[in-house]
Amino acid sequence: MTSAFRHAAAVCLLALAASAAAAETHQLDDSLSHTVPPTAQMQWLPQTRGDVDGGMEAWVRVNVRIETQDWVGRSGSIYMVLPRDEASTLEAVWTADGPLLAGRLTSGERALVYRGAITSTTLRDQILVRLRSGPDWQSNSRRLNFHFELDVD
Amino acid sequence: MTPPTFRPTNKRPLAALALVALCVAEMAAAHAWSLSLTSASRRVFLHVGNGTANGNNGTINRVTATLTGAQLLAGTPQAMSSNSTQSNSLYGDGFTTCPNPASQVMVGASYRRNNNNQPASATLRVTSPANLTNAAGDTIPFSQISWTVSAPGSSVPNVIPAGTFNGGTQTLATVPANTYIENCHSFIYANSALRAAGTYNGQVTYTLSSP
Repeated sequence: MTSAFRHAAAVCLLALAASAAAAETHQLDDSLSHTVPPTAQMQWLPQTRGDVDGGMEAWVRVNVRIETQDWVGRSGSIYMVLPRDEASTLEAVWTADGPLLAGRLTSGERALVYRGAITSTTLRDQILVRLRSGPDWQSNSRRLNFHFELDVD
Repeated sequence: MTPPTFRPTNKRPLAALALVALCVAEMAAAHAWSLSLTSASRRVFLHVGNGTANGNNGTINRVTATLTGAQLLAGTPQAMSSNSTQSNSLYGDGFTTCPNPASQVMVGASYRRNNNNQPASATLRVTSPANLTNAAGDTIPFSQISWTVSAPGSSVPNVIPAGTFNGGTQTLATVPANTYIENCHSFIYANSALRAAGTYNGQVTYTLSSP
């Protein structure tokens, strides 16, 4: 074995070990989730004396489908995560029909959407999301990559 | 018959390769909903007199001064009246910025940019013709008309300054990105010379633009 392979294998083993030893956070597969509409454009909010910038907002509906078959019989907390994509902070506020919880998060945060026993192989819900931000973007468009992660009890 | 050949195999690199593949698979098990989001369009908004918040309004308001013979002879400046009815701000809160619209014309302007790479401001200008004219072709220089400004309750009542039309294009104010400015303009006819009888008309045009 070359030293390069030995090094790669060691790094990989360490990463796997660290992953297992951490708080057992697992990113969940929700590749069958989709937004309606698939793209959105922000609209200006009214400017007021109290909120000079006014900011922008958009609404999207998300048909959520989270694959949980690997975790049936376990319990834990599922969070929705919005990684920070640029300096301009974006806020997401949503309502849900159930079983997911309504909530709020901003760029770089996660928010609880489910807590308890996982009894089914998929979690399905429809959430209505309001996105708001200031007018301080770095470009005219951005891609928001939400995901869900599970902290197993 | 060719003798069997010996091909050395090295299973350890294969094992390491599999381990790396497993490692990558573990780290790449990321599926998520994503959304392509476009910013709101860059926008300028301007109203002079009657306006509609965030919408178009084709109203062209009129300011007038009707002078008696005695007033003409006196030669004193005459306040002009307005047919504008816009007293409440379009700045989201409905504040009564122009409490006397019969003698005031509200001017409000905003510039909204959606990202930091766009121009930092917009420019408010007004263009006036050289003269007001009557049906007989007599003229009054537009420079006979000036305006004062006010904005009750505002810390910057002269955010759009007072001035006098010059028969050309004048820059009135710079509107910084994502700000809204407004105040009330009251017009005055200078009445500094005797004119031929008649009704004199002229139209000025306000523009707000950003490169």
